[in-house]
Amino acid sequence: MDGYFWATAVVGAISTVICLVAGIMGKKPNDVTILSVGAVFLVVLVYLVGSIIRVIAGEHLRGAAWEFWGYMLTALVLPLGAVYWSVLERTRWSNFVLAVVGVTALVMAARMNQIWY
Amino acid sequence: MTSATRQDSQNTRNTGPGRLLIAVYGVFALATTARAGFQIATKFHTAPVAYLLSALAAVVYIVATVSLARRGTASFKVSVAAVSLELLGVLVVGALSVFDKQAFPEDTVWSGFGKGYGFVPLILPLLGLWWLYRRRPSAA
Repeated sequence: MDGYFWATAVVGAISTVICLVAGIMGKKPNDVTILSVGAVFLVVLVYLVGSIIRVIAGEHLRGAAWEFWGYMLTALVLPLGAVYWSVLERTRWSNFVLAVVGVTALVMAARMNQIWY
Repeated sequence: MTSATRQDSQNTRNTGPGRLLIAVYGVFALATTARAGFQIATKFHTAPVAYLLSALAAVVYIVATVSLARRGTASFKVSVAAVSLELLGVLVVGALSVFDKQAFPEDTVWSGFGKGYGFVPLILPLLGLWWLYRRRPSAA
C-alpha cells in the first residue's frame, strides 16, 4: 500500500463518517458534506495525475493496465454523480448517498494498489 | 423534485431511502459489469460457469438499478423480479461455493454469500424487497 492509497483511504473514511453523521442527524446535504466528497474527488485526481507521471517515467504496472484505469475512472465518476444527485434531491438521504462515495473510493484505491504492485 | 410533485407522480420508490438503494445498486451494477467484462475478456476458459454467473449478476444489478429508478407499475414488477432473482442467486451461489468448492474455483460477486464485497450482496436484496413492499403501488 502506497501513499496514494493511504491518502485516499483517510480522506474517504473521513468523508463517509461526516456524511453518515450528517444523515443520521437528519441534515440536508450542506457545504461540509459536499466539500468532503469534493476532497475525495481531489485526492483521486491527484492519484490520477501521479499515476500518469509514474507511467511516463517508466514504471510498470504488475496487473492489467486497463483494469487499473477502469477503477480510476470509476473512482472519479462516483463523487461527481453523487454530488449531482445530492443537488437534485435535498433530503437527509442524499447524505447517505454521499457517504457511499468515500468508502467506495477506499475500496477502489485498495484494488488499484493491488493491481499496481 | 418538490414534495407536491412527488405525491402527484405516485412514484415514491426513487426518493428518500430509495435514492440510497438505487445509488448502492448503481455502484454494484458498475463494479460487477466491469469485473465480469474483464474476467470474460481475459480468462473465460479457466472457469466459464463462474464468469457467466458474474455476467448474469451484472445484468441483474443493471436491471434492478434502472427499474428502481423508473416510475410505474411495470417497473415495480421488474424490480421485484430482479431483486428476487438477486436474492436467489446470492443464496444458491453462496451455498454452492461453500459446500461444493470444485464447482466454483473462481470468485464471483455472489461467492460465499458476497463475502468479498462485505456481504452487501446478501443484505441488499433483503433491503430491496423490504423497500419495494413498503412502497408497493397499491399502498401508495
